Amino acid sequence: MNDMRLLERSVDQTEIKISARDVQVWYGEKHAIKDVNVDLLDKTVTAFIGPSGCGKSTFLRCLNRMNDTIDISRVEGKITLDGEDIYDRRVDPVQLRARVGMVFQKPNPFPKSIYDNVAYGPRIHGLARNRAELDEIVEKSLRGAALWNEVKDRLSDPGTGLSGGQQQRLCIARAVATQPEVLLMDEPCSALDPIATSQIEELIDQLRAEFSVVIVTHSMQQAARVSQKTAFFHLGNLVEYGNTDDIFTNPRDPRTESYISGRIG
Amino acid sequence: MSDATLHGAQPRPSLLVADPRTRKRNAAEARFRAYGLGAIVISMVMLVILLFTILTGGLGAFRQTYLEIPVTLDAAQLDKTGNRDPADLRKVLTLTYGKILQQSLEQAIADKGIAIADLSAKDVSNLISKEASAQLRNRVLADPELIGQTVEARVLVNGRVDGYYKGRVSMESAARDANTSPAQLQLADALKAQGMLATQWNWSFLTSPDASDQRPEAAGVGIAILGSLYMMLVVLVLAVPIGVAASIYLEEFAPRNRWTDIIEVNISNLAAVPSIVFGILGLAAFINFAGLPQSAPIVGGLVLTLMTLPTIIIATRAALKAVPPSIRDAALGVGASRMQSVFHHVLPLAMPGILTGTIIGLAQALGETAPLLLIGMVAFVKNFPSAPPDGLFEPASALPVQVYNWTQRADPAFIERASGAIIVLLVFLLCMNLLAILLRRKFERRW
Repeated sequence: MNDMRLLERSVDQTEIKISARDVQVWYGEKHAIKDVNVDLLDKTVTAFIGPSGCGKSTFLRCLNRMNDTIDISRVEGKITLDGEDIYDRRVDPVQLRARVGMVFQKPNPFPKSIYDNVAYGPRIHGLARNRAELDEIVEKSLRGAALWNEVKDRLSDPGTGLSGGQQQRLCIARAVATQPEVLLMDEPCSALDPIATSQIEELIDQLRAEFSVVIVTHSMQQAARVSQKTAFFHLGNLVEYGNTDDIFTNPRDPRTESYISGRIG
Repeated sequence: MSDATLHGAQPRPSLLVADPRTRKRNAAEARFRAYGLGAIVISMVMLVILLFTILTGGLGAFRQTYLEIPVTLDAAQLDKTGNRDPADLRKVLTLTYGKILQQSLEQAIADKGIAIADLSAKDVSNLISKEASAQLRNRVLADPELIGQTVEARVLVNGRVDGYYKGRVSMESAARDANTSPAQLQLADALKAQGMLATQWNWSFLTSPDASDQRPEAAGVGIAILGSLYMMLVVLVLAVPIGVAASIYLEEFAPRNRWTDIIEVNISNLAAVPSIVFGILGLAAFINFAGLPQSAPIVGGLVLTLMTLPTIIIATRAALKAVPPSIRDAALGVGASRMQSVFHHVLPLAMPGILTGTIIGLAQALGETAPLLLIGMVAFVKNFPSAPPDGLFEPASALPVQVYNWTQRADPAFIERASGAIIVLLVFLLCMNLLAILLRRKFERRW
């Protein structure tokens, strides 16, 4: 295990990318997120951990307003991206999602070719003026997702024909292709085998150079391996947020300690 | 050993012998399979019986007995003025042409030396269909130069003689029949022996209009096919866009609240409303209120559109629902708008289902009779409607209504025609279903 790495890792970034203040989320009558305050740093991997149903995915989906698609959900409080309130009435969630990309739990490539999967975002956002530029974006994104060497000879094959791990990397390439600033990942490895998981984890570490990455994970080992900052959620509350090595070696809250030592979960 | 004492008390049951409980379960399963197989067998038998009755009864409509004789178009009778003036030619009625046909037939019989022992002049003239004189008149009016010449004519024979060659009429039944006689049938046999009378493929069944009660041999489904096609055109143009748009809105955009719930329940209920109710609605709304013409395909099409909409909406919504939400998330996640995610990703995936539902809806509309009766499409229509869009407002018939119409008539020859029309209808439905399957194959994609 390379768990030892976390001791060597330091958080060198201080620039705040996303800031949440007093965020509340209701699903109908259910109060899913309570008073969450958190500052997510730029060019940093932040992991959200916590037991099932603790609200970590819900909070993640607030960050690019994917919760808007659920009729009964209601978000209160303030979330800012680079100082701008993303829940302001003037904000178009579509524009927001181009800047805050998302990778989902289950690989969900479009039933189109590999090329079209990656090119879709740039196409609808008009990022490429011509075919050559689009080709370039596709190649860059696929390289960025460490998939280029595996698929460069079969870009016109359907994306759904790839293996699970490849599909997930294709989804990452698709998200990267729109040139976002933040990449949200909702348990990206939960449907993958250990080898594919380690590939994705390596990839996340590389992505940190360009993006602010927020990853929701069930696996504490994964959080420890990939993240610099960790937030622990429990029953809709953000219990503890801090440097990953502090959380795992020296938790302040007894609930965090119970969770990481396996007593609750 | 404690294990030995635990299990030692009872001997282990052998796997080679089924215990009573297993036997019971197996018997239940075998019974269930037998029921299922029985249900399939019964439905297959019914299908075979249906096809057999319709085919045996209806294939005859596609064959027709014709008399081929030289007809002398006597100028003295047809054009007394001699100047071939169309206005004057029109004044000559079918009665005169009937006489000419009769004379020509008598001449032909005499030429061939066929003995007409106990045959009356009426028997001879009745051999020819009443429609034949009208057809001859039309031919002459179209080409007045024919007057004065002797032309080869293909003359429709009377329905009874036609029925004789299709096994519907026998010598015994003819003896009891006021419309024919054994002597007439013998004459027909003699003409057939001379090669002047033959049963041939009958295109005119598909192209000619309906005919009156007395002339089943001339009746065809031409106008009915055209009317049905016009109505399908209207349904396709109206129901598909409205239905698909409504379902996309309800499924992808509309908020879930009490109003949409009410709409949803109502759409499901509309699909179950008896079709004749839609006929009354059409009568009230489109004919009495909007003032559209009766018997017109546009009204029929509108009524069928109303009737088909719920089917299309339900099928389309089911197809949209079946698209995994992860595809929508994926599209929204890369910053596609709601509409882009629907039109770029969801709709293509739902396409096979939508097409299937639409074609099933259209097929249902094609076979619908009851609402059309109420808006006057049951009328006797002799003139072909013109090409769309004008033709949509002119009277026409429809295939299922034509079937209904013919089964109401006394002459058994119309039963054959009705079965023939059913075959035409079934062929259309088969083609539509085939199209549905082909389109589904083409658009089907896995995810």
